[in-house]
Amino acid sequence: MKHACKEVSKLASDSLDRPLSFFERLKFKLHLSMCGHCRDFDSNITLIHNITEMMHATDYGQTRLSEQQRKRLHDSLNSSIE
Amino acid sequence: MKKGDDDPHTWLNEHGDYLYRFAMSRLHNEELAADMLQETLLAGWKGFDRFAGQSTIRTWLVGILKHKIIDHIRREIRGRNLNEAIENDPTSAYFNANGSWSEAPNAWKENPEDLFSNEQFNKTLESCIDKLPEKQQLVFRMRDISGEDTQTTCKTCDVTTTHLHVLLHRARLALRICLNIHWFGKGSAS
Repeated sequence: MKHACKEVSKLASDSLDRPLSFFERLKFKLHLSMCGHCRDFDSNITLIHNITEMMHATDYGQTRLSEQQRKRLHDSLNSSIE
Repeated sequence: MKKGDDDPHTWLNEHGDYLYRFAMSRLHNEELAADMLQETLLAGWKGFDRFAGQSTIRTWLVGILKHKIIDHIRREIRGRNLNEAIENDPTSAYFNANGSWSEAPNAWKENPEDLFSNEQFNKTLESCIDKLPEKQQLVFRMRDISGEDTQTTCKTCDVTTTHLHVLLHRARLALRICLNIHWFGKGSAS
């Protein structure tokens, strides 16, 4: 079963980007049920993925340019455009 | 065309916050987002004759901003002169010839919420991403940090979906090791 770790690590990564096929999922789940290293790998990269998801799920709805930034932008436009 | 349509100061007043939020959602960095906004307004002003009026000014500016952000990511990565000479399969470093782990992964105890709000962790993550080879870094940044969809990432990075998944797999193997050494391994060495 060990020979499959490399392949299973790819399935673990792919599962974050696309739905696995029925047989891929079967192979993946079956292997994880027997291999602690791959379970750890899967949970490690899922953790990284969850953190990056939090990054781009951050709601910037209330974010605005500060007055200072806005002034700086107007000033630099003035000096570039004259 | 109404008055002020060609004036970048008007754009800044009317669309500045919107564009800034867009840049923040991709870059998560205030200074950088403001810089990209500035470049966008200037590029818009210089290239205003190319604005066909088929979309709104805002949509047109967002299009420019998107390009500026991608250019920036590319430039940043190129500037670091990363070594990507070995184009044979880097994943073989992580596995024995029989496909088993050469160095077994171990469980990480911390939860994503705590890590996400930990400034020190974010720095460590960023420095690990910085170490990825160019192409891996580009796709990882676009797909996982900026949250672009697969189609956009493939198109921008000029890779097939299959190749994208191969690159992300490599990036994640490398990131996992890097974080294990520089973050999760801390304190557990005893």
